Amino acid sequence: MAPRYQNRIELLQGTLDLLILQTLQWGPQHGYGISQHIRANSGEILQVDTGSLYPALHRLERQKWISADWKLSENKQRVRVYRLTATGKKQLLSERSRWEQLSDAIAGVLSPAKREGQA
Amino acid sequence: MKFPWQRKQEDLRQELQSHLQMEASDRIERGEIAEHAQQAARREFGNVALVEQVTRDQWPWRWLDEFLQDLRYATRMLGKNPGFTLVAVLTLALGIGANTAIFGVVNAVLLRPLPFKQPSRLMMLFEGIPKLGFSKMGFSAPDFMVFVRAQKSFESVGAYQNKYFNISGDREPERLMAARVSSSVFPMLGAEPMLGRTFTSGEDAPGQNVVILSYGLWQSRFGSDPGIIGRSLELNRTPYTVIGVMPKAFNFPLRGPQGSEPAELWVPMAFTATELEGWGTNYMNGVLARLRPGLAFEQASAEAESLSHSIGSNYPPELTKAFQGAELKVGMNSYHEEVVKSVRTLLLILMAAVVLVLLIACVNVATLLVSRAGSRQKEVALRTTLGATRVRLLRQMLTESLLLALIGGSLGLAFASWVKTYLLSLVPESVPLPHDIPTDGSVIVFVLAASFVTTVLCGLVPAFQVSAMALHGPLQEGGRSGTPGRLRHRLQGFFVTVEFALALVLLIGSGLLIRSFAKLVETDPGFRPDHVLTLKIPIASERYTQAPKVRQFYEQLLDRTGNIPGVKAVGLTSDLPLNGCGTIAIQIEGGGNAGGETPQAICQTWQVGNYFQTLGIPLRKGRYFTLEDRIDAQPVAIVSETAGRQFWPGQDPIGKRIRWGVYSPWQTIVGIVGDVNDEPLGHPAQLHVYRPYLQMADLFFEDSRFGEVRSMNLAVRSQTDPASLTSAVIGQIHSLDPDLTVAHIRTMAQVISSSVAGPRFNTLLLGVFAAVALFLAAIGIYGVMAYATTQQTQEIGIRLALGAQPRNVLYLVLRRGVRLAGVGAAFGVAAALALTRLMAGLLYDVSATDPVTFSFVVILLLAIALLACYVPARRAMRVDPIVALRYE
Repeated sequence: MAPRYQNRIELLQGTLDLLILQTLQWGPQHGYGISQHIRANSGEILQVDTGSLYPALHRLERQKWISADWKLSENKQRVRVYRLTATGKKQLLSERSRWEQLSDAIAGVLSPAKREGQA
Repeated sequence: MKFPWQRKQEDLRQELQSHLQMEASDRIERGEIAEHAQQAARREFGNVALVEQVTRDQWPWRWLDEFLQDLRYATRMLGKNPGFTLVAVLTLALGIGANTAIFGVVNAVLLRPLPFKQPSRLMMLFEGIPKLGFSKMGFSAPDFMVFVRAQKSFESVGAYQNKYFNISGDREPERLMAARVSSSVFPMLGAEPMLGRTFTSGEDAPGQNVVILSYGLWQSRFGSDPGIIGRSLELNRTPYTVIGVMPKAFNFPLRGPQGSEPAELWVPMAFTATELEGWGTNYMNGVLARLRPGLAFEQASAEAESLSHSIGSNYPPELTKAFQGAELKVGMNSYHEEVVKSVRTLLLILMAAVVLVLLIACVNVATLLVSRAGSRQKEVALRTTLGATRVRLLRQMLTESLLLALIGGSLGLAFASWVKTYLLSLVPESVPLPHDIPTDGSVIVFVLAASFVTTVLCGLVPAFQVSAMALHGPLQEGGRSGTPGRLRHRLQGFFVTVEFALALVLLIGSGLLIRSFAKLVETDPGFRPDHVLTLKIPIASERYTQAPKVRQFYEQLLDRTGNIPGVKAVGLTSDLPLNGCGTIAIQIEGGGNAGGETPQAICQTWQVGNYFQTLGIPLRKGRYFTLEDRIDAQPVAIVSETAGRQFWPGQDPIGKRIRWGVYSPWQTIVGIVGDVNDEPLGHPAQLHVYRPYLQMADLFFEDSRFGEVRSMNLAVRSQTDPASLTSAVIGQIHSLDPDLTVAHIRTMAQVISSSVAGPRFNTLLLGVFAAVALFLAAIGIYGVMAYATTQQTQEIGIRLALGAQPRNVLYLVLRRGVRLAGVGAAFGVAAALALTRLMAGLLYDVSATDPVTFSFVVILLLAIALLACYVPARRAMRVDPIVALRYE
């Protein structure tokens, strides 16, 4: 049987949502653009799988955190462009603070000395 | 036309396509060759179809979309196999239809509350004299009045009584079933009139001739006249004023309790003075009561019971003395329970029977689906390769079953309304079921529910089987000998076994009923029913007021009918056998050995002429009545054999004396005759005392509390076909009184036949369902064996080529079939042993575990299994080895 994408989506879910919302904060963007942006801004480290990206986009759209429209691209191609909604902005803020808490916490666990030194 | 989800799907495809193109053009901009760029973009992207699918999974209403896809696909698949589809749909329609029809009746009769206001608070009250064997009677008029005054548990109490009326006036006379009701009854039921009003409490006193019409009568006899209120009509030649018309849906009394029948018109109960003084007689009034709010059933029941004594203490002293040791007891039950209890067992058994039929139908369809699954391996392999998951395959297969079940269900619904109408038209008078039940919403809900259950029952196993193929991967699907083939083989065997077990249960059930019915019809009723014609002569009390006039009429009638050529004997009786009779309490002079001072309950009827000779009731001792047993001669009586033995054990009853309570002089026993069935066949013979009608005291004709004593049944024994005498007999009756309308013209054979109408109805219904089950089971085993044999053609060919004899092959095929049927039969017998005892109440003289029925049915079923296997087995036997080896 063919391998399923489901598991990878689950692993990435929270993080990928955050990355997408963050990317869209800079302006409306289509799926390809979002994947390119994440890739470029992560120094080519994060390569978003299409099998994760599109389900995530459609899920965020269903949750009304982003909305989508058809636009014509520079080379006159019909592309689906996503933009952040008002609730999406709020969601981004809360996800960001959660992420920061999480990364602080993980950082604290990984290098306790530094944390103590600071305190 | 495009559906929204189709559009959405295309949008997604375009979105993914644009992603590919943008990536490709980016690569080209970076200097890659166009061709490579396209390929690389595609590689980078991955499986487009799969990305599409996982993205679609995020959409709302996704399941509906997929369901519709599956449905389209299922429609195509079923359309491609019209033969399979037709068989499956018809089988399911049969199963669901039968269930729906019976459910419609069960729902209307057992489940739905009675069509009255707060029906659960409506109670039925009854009197009983347990010591005399009367467990439930109606109330006598004086007892009812005492009860109404003394009770505190009910907010209202009312009595009703069925009564026939002859309606005459502007149109031809008709005999109508009516009911006398207390003024409290309609308000208690919450029944509002459509026109006019219902009775007032002032009309509970006699002498106010008012009548309320049923909707049906208002329509048929009065042409729905809106100005009917205030008009006058004639009932029993007395003018009555119409005060109201009830709505169409109103039906009262409900059929069932104490022989109640729906009435076409209602008059006030208005007990007469003689009725109100009739202590100890005519326990004929149905009594309904509504519980006070907040009062529990048990409290009311206890109070009702406690009133038994105060009723008894109001009885006149001489009667109390005669009734010594046989106290009255008041009882209570819910009205609903009283209405449905006599048909509950029958309906539940029928429901169980049709559920079994549906299960068999499901198993049959499942077998078909399993067989067909074999030919779908390639399709499944392809779909799996294209990324279909196991759950998705399972859903697809279930959708196909659902489609089958829904089509079958809708056909079944049409079939059901036809079956129900037909079935209700067969309901005999003696079975209290309504003759018309409209289809309502709950039946539609039932059909849908039945279709879904059917889907799961017949689709789940085959669906799992198909989806299990997906596990084996596309490339392993090789020859027929692979695992799925063996699984299929086993599944089919399992289904045939189940089917046989189910069919066996049903067949044993109906077999028991058939055997019980056969025994019932063979019972000796105690008389010779051949060559006897009977007629009821309802002579009117208005014309024949005086007793001598009535006696004279009947003596003349005997004389004239006795002289008709072809008549061997004539006699008159107050009640014919098998139709029940009035039970009285008698005293035995000197106490007798059995009775002491306690009175004895006995059935009493009145005769004139050669009644015993006409019916062929044998004389055991003494003499029959003669025309000399007149009012001025010594009072005499004849008793039945059993009564004689019971009252005077070890003594000669001839010459002993008995009397009826305090209402008659002592009568000397002059004869003993054989026992006769007074109740319908199947009931035990009752004690019986026969009295000469010519000795009936004048008082009986003057006092209405003794009931309709004028109306007698004429019995004529003929030399040839009794029905051929009908017109001659009626001619003689009319020569005496041209205005007499003769009723109930039946031969004694017809009387017997209608007395077993109830059991015949039960037997017929269950028999039909058992036959359907047997038919389906036979088709099922034939299908499986035929299919298995085709699959084995190669093997059989090899065997034949290696020198096997054709009969070895025959044996091979038969062996499997019989083994499956045998295992099924074993399980079926076990299940039947557990289930048939539930129907013991419907059986007469046959044990619920009757070994004869059980073994006969098992043999029948095995024989049918053999036959069903024999056809494919013969085909296998004739296989040409060369052809078989080339097969596939």
